[in-house]
Amino acid sequence: MRAPLRDPAHRVSRRAIALWFVEAIIGFAFLMGAALLIAYLLDRSGWSALPGWMGDRLWLLPVAVGVVMLPLVVLEPLLRYAVHRWELSGDVVYARSGWLSRQWVFVPVSRIQTVDKAQGWFERALSLATVEIRTASHAGSSTIQGLDYEVAAAFAEELARRAQELRDDAT
Amino acid sequence: MTDSPFRAEMADVPRRVSPRVLLIHPLRMLPSLLLPFGGLLLASGFSPTSVAVAALGVALSVAVAVVRWATFTYRVSGDRLELTRALVSRSVRTIPLERVRGVDITARPLHRLLGLAVLKIDTGAGGDSQEGELDALPLREAEELRGVLLARRAMAVSATQPVEAPAEGQPPHGAVPAGTSAGGTSAGGGVAQGAPRGVAPDGGRVIARVPRSWLRYGPLSGAYLLTPFALIAGAVGVVYQWVGEVRVTAETAASTLEWARDHMILLVAAGVLLVLAMPVAGGITYAVFNWDFTVRSRDGYLVAERGLLTRRVVSLERRRIRGYELVDGLLERAAGVVRAWAVVTGLGDSETRGQLLPVTPREWAVGVVSEAIEPFDAPLRPHPPQARRRRLFRAVAPWLVVAAAALALGWAVVAVAALALAVAGIALGLDRYRSLGHAYDGMRVSVRQGSLRRRQAVVERRAIVGWRLRQTVFQRMSGVLTVIAGVGAGSGGYHAIDTGESQGVEFAAEVTPDWLRLFLASPRP
Repeated sequence: MRAPLRDPAHRVSRRAIALWFVEAIIGFAFLMGAALLIAYLLDRSGWSALPGWMGDRLWLLPVAVGVVMLPLVVLEPLLRYAVHRWELSGDVVYARSGWLSRQWVFVPVSRIQTVDKAQGWFERALSLATVEIRTASHAGSSTIQGLDYEVAAAFAEELARRAQELRDDAT
Repeated sequence: MTDSPFRAEMADVPRRVSPRVLLIHPLRMLPSLLLPFGGLLLASGFSPTSVAVAALGVALSVAVAVVRWATFTYRVSGDRLELTRALVSRSVRTIPLERVRGVDITARPLHRLLGLAVLKIDTGAGGDSQEGELDALPLREAEELRGVLLARRAMAVSATQPVEAPAEGQPPHGAVPAGTSAGGTSAGGGVAQGAPRGVAPDGGRVIARVPRSWLRYGPLSGAYLLTPFALIAGAVGVVYQWVGEVRVTAETAASTLEWARDHMILLVAAGVLLVLAMPVAGGITYAVFNWDFTVRSRDGYLVAERGLLTRRVVSLERRRIRGYELVDGLLERAAGVVRAWAVVTGLGDSETRGQLLPVTPREWAVGVVSEAIEPFDAPLRPHPPQARRRRLFRAVAPWLVVAAAALALGWAVVAVAALALAVAGIALGLDRYRSLGHAYDGMRVSVRQGSLRRRQAVVERRAIVGWRLRQTVFQRMSGVLTVIAGVGAGSGGYHAIDTGESQGVEFAAEVTPDWLRLFLASPRP
């Protein structure tokens, strides 16, 4: 049994896959660096509390990290592209995000306080943008990543306009 | 409230705070002056120079207090409160009365002795710097001013919009600092607060007065349990300031260690005493802070008053109250007592300001919040059995892992302790599951969770600004998800943990059908 919700109408831009891939690679590099550092330090300290079989095979730690994490680096962008979707219908923003976990967010336009359009370094290079929709509560706020810049601009514009028309301050 | 000549006099005339604060400020500065000057006198002997320097310091602090007092004025002008500080530059802080969300009158012991009170104006803006503070007014004047601030607020609101929130497009800032600098915020006033006995007896209907005998429930809440340690830490800090000059060398460290080894029994006894003192000291602290807790209803405000030495009066605007939270820990539940907080939009420091009731018997507390805010009696719907399995797993499994790891490493004591915790985790997990629940009565939403600290929130439907449904991989495998109602008040989000997949979606769709109607997999007819 799955949550009885239909898919939001629009996918994000295909270039978002590249964005998530780059981000995943960077994350992986940090993790690998940490694993190598820990293995190196443990090896040098010769910590006696470790049983011998573990102490002799410290190189297994970075290898294990690589084996487990590398497939995820490839998988994450693809899964995200499948999961991330958004839609504006009936004056409600409906967005889905996540890759292993999922999130569905429903934000009625009447409760929106600010709409931001943001671009990081990589997003600029790929001409992508993130739309941040804020309400009085962080739990009722939504962030839609990986939109094509033109789409994001039009969407943010539309949201801001509708929010102005519908404004309802009953926070 | 009736008119008084006092109020007419208050309008439009710049006024100073009470000159009696001049007695308070230097006194409050004394402790911080004492140590450096004491040290100076001791170190350099009582030479005329050092005495002169110390005297100069005292004189300076008095002079600063006088200048602060003389240059600070406030006035109510039209629909604004203006706080003016004019020393070299001039700074005017203007607070539109319609932005005043609450007024907090506090009376610390020194202030009470002098018949003074500190009045703080909550504008719903983030951070202290956006709030107004008047330190200190004569008690009667503080009460009058509160009446003026809150009454005008009520009038302004009813004139423009009968029920709903203030005009559109208002930024979430409250106060509008005008003029030159931010110097007028708290630089001058930010010291004491005070108002003597019985701060707010002026009118208002008493909704609840907590009998003193109920103060005995205090220790059950686990609040202030660390008081003895805080006291010790404070004492150690003072001692360090005194002996700051003493150099810590390897020798002194070694001798201290040696002393400790020789007096191990003494140290252990002291530790045990401290632990035993925890509930006692905690109970006393609790009683001091929650003495004669009273909740009143007046002019569209809920007024909570409490405290033995420091008397604190918090006014919460009713229009901004969106619900309440009932909190009870394990011990409290065994004794059938509960604490209550109001869920208020834009309330800073809501942990202390929002408190509606201290530890009181459950039935009574529910009666009070039902009267003060609104009743809620829809039964909570239980969550599916997968939720119980997940609660159990999460309470037990980590300890089993620790136990296994400890066994592998040969740490028997740790393994046994972890196993014991795992067994305790069974009870904890079952209780966590029992706590889970959500409900909707057509007007208000309620969710409950937690075991060691169980909390049930009741929030109005119209306070909800959005929904967030969350499902981790493991939740997905169990077919459950977490529903979070986004609310622009209190903690911001209220979680219904591990509802069934359809149950959770239907819950959100039931509360706000218009928002989800278009997105359900099988649209309703």
